Amino acid sequence: MNDSKSIRLHYLFRAAVLLAFAYYIWHLTNENALSYYVAPALARWIKLCPFPLGLMALSLIIQAVLGKSAMLCNCGHRLPASPLASGALYGLFLFPLLLGFVLPDRALGSAAAVKKGMSFSYSAVEPEKSVRFESKDPYAQEFTELAKILYEQPVIPVYPAIFSEAFGAIDMYKKQFEGKEIAVSGFVYRDQAGEDTGPFAVSRFLVQCCTADATPLGILVDPVRQQHLPADAWVKVQGKIRVVPQDGKELIRIEASSITPIAQPDAPYIYTSADSVETWHELQKFANKEK
Amino acid sequence: MTALSPMKIIPLLLPAALLIILVVMWLPEYQGLLNNEYVHTFKTGFIGILLEALPFILAGALLSSLLQVFVPDEVISRWIPKRAIPGILFACVLGIVFPVCECGMIPLVRRLIQKGMPVYVAIVFILSGPILNPVVYGATFMAFRNHPELAYARMGLAFAAAFLIGLIVYCTVKKSPMRWSAQREMGDMAHSHAVRGGRLTSVFVHTSEEFFEMGKYLLIGCLLTAALQTFMVRDSLAAVGGQPLGSYLFMMGLAFALSLCSTSDAFVASTFLHTFPAGSLVAFMVFGPMLDFKNAMMLMALFKTKFALYLFFLIFACVFIGSVLLSPWL
Repeated sequence: MNDSKSIRLHYLFRAAVLLAFAYYIWHLTNENALSYYVAPALARWIKLCPFPLGLMALSLIIQAVLGKSAMLCNCGHRLPASPLASGALYGLFLFPLLLGFVLPDRALGSAAAVKKGMSFSYSAVEPEKSVRFESKDPYAQEFTELAKILYEQPVIPVYPAIFSEAFGAIDMYKKQFEGKEIAVSGFVYRDQAGEDTGPFAVSRFLVQCCTADATPLGILVDPVRQQHLPADAWVKVQGKIRVVPQDGKELIRIEASSITPIAQPDAPYIYTSADSVETWHELQKFANKEK
Repeated sequence: MTALSPMKIIPLLLPAALLIILVVMWLPEYQGLLNNEYVHTFKTGFIGILLEALPFILAGALLSSLLQVFVPDEVISRWIPKRAIPGILFACVLGIVFPVCECGMIPLVRRLIQKGMPVYVAIVFILSGPILNPVVYGATFMAFRNHPELAYARMGLAFAAAFLIGLIVYCTVKKSPMRWSAQREMGDMAHSHAVRGGRLTSVFVHTSEEFFEMGKYLLIGCLLTAALQTFMVRDSLAAVGGQPLGSYLFMMGLAFALSLCSTSDAFVASTFLHTFPAGSLVAFMVFGPMLDFKNAMMLMALFKTKFALYLFFLIFACVFIGSVLLSPWL
């Protein structure tokens, strides 16, 4: 059986691991790097985790230092029996920390998009055939509302906060939007690694909870002028919307009039918005104030 | 059994320490070695899944410890209906009250079983809890704006499958399938109240025990999931999807490999809307929360291997048959 000394040692080691996890989360929060891994709604909960982790570590330390030997028992809880097993156990817990501290924090890019499968259209909506912005489907009402607003803009700004909804709305009414001017930013994605001057897609990852469910969304871009753009570079693209046939489907493509390299935004991913029309109005209010 | 005395750890600690020093000293110089796309994708995926699960597993461990320290055994067995069918129905609606994700659920359920919850009721709760709750219903509804029937089908199939599996387990499993006998746990409970620093310390000591106990399975699950996500090209599996029933197998395989949270998987499913039949998307959304890499590992920790494999088979069979039967109405 484990004697009380080794239980104390285990407790101290576990306390250290828990504190290291708490520190790692605090470090990510400080560096603003949590947004590379999880959505803001979840990040709120993760930021709270250092508190229970710290309390757990504290309790273990109290037990290890002050606990009476007779009370330290390993009857129910299964501490690893052999040194090899404990080495494997703690190694497993230290591995993510090592990975986290040694490698720089980086957002998902083209390599992940290839594996996950890029979508060039917003597949949850059916394209509308009607000429006007009308939808009989009550569930598409929000997109229709948004499409009406977007249509009236001289240059359609695709705000990151409503990227997926704007993409959905334009995709749904792509025939009407043909020829409209649009401005959108994202990273450069190419299907094949080849020359970095050709056509690409301006892309973002849509994240629901964490990077496991990240879905890459991309709008095809025809650069018109030859321009040297490596994959994963962040760009702002402005140009006219065209509808092009590809693989038996109709996709939207931007005929670019300008492509400007930009810095990677602090929040590289996009998230769904509960009410995109409401968010649009707020963003507009904010933009007007800026002016 | 080998004792774990400090003298015996030292021979292992020394090489480990040396290895850590080597890694810390050398890695900054050989960043190039690690600096390839795979490693970064792997890291971002792995840390993302781990961080996502962390609050839930902490909450589950904390709840389970609170139950252990503060709630007497009789209370729980008094709540649960004695007869099988009401018991199973009770477990199905429990998810509405406790909207916990599957990572938090397993430590909680383990404690509930020790406190006298029948195993079949616990299994129904594990299976239905992550799907039959308002948060997941809302998320599914949002993801399939044009197809609300898919959200209904998901809820319905999850209910039917959990109910059926609960009934089968009730009828066929008589011996305790738990990995650890209740006896050992009872011994532990007898002096769990006597820890230094009162009940609060005791709660947190137990929470950390649970955290390490379940955490190792979670970590292995996260590692495998992240590796799969890094190296598996989704389209390479899609070849299977061409066969008549292949799309069902493909979507269920994908759900198993991706280990998504049940609140977010509907959106991923919706990207397949025009590629695969609707029935297979329902299979994806019901199978994933019930069984995936991450929670298969944790179920293996909870139950004996033989029973766990039996349970995996039941889940697979029920979801597969159910979703195929449902497909004419979708």
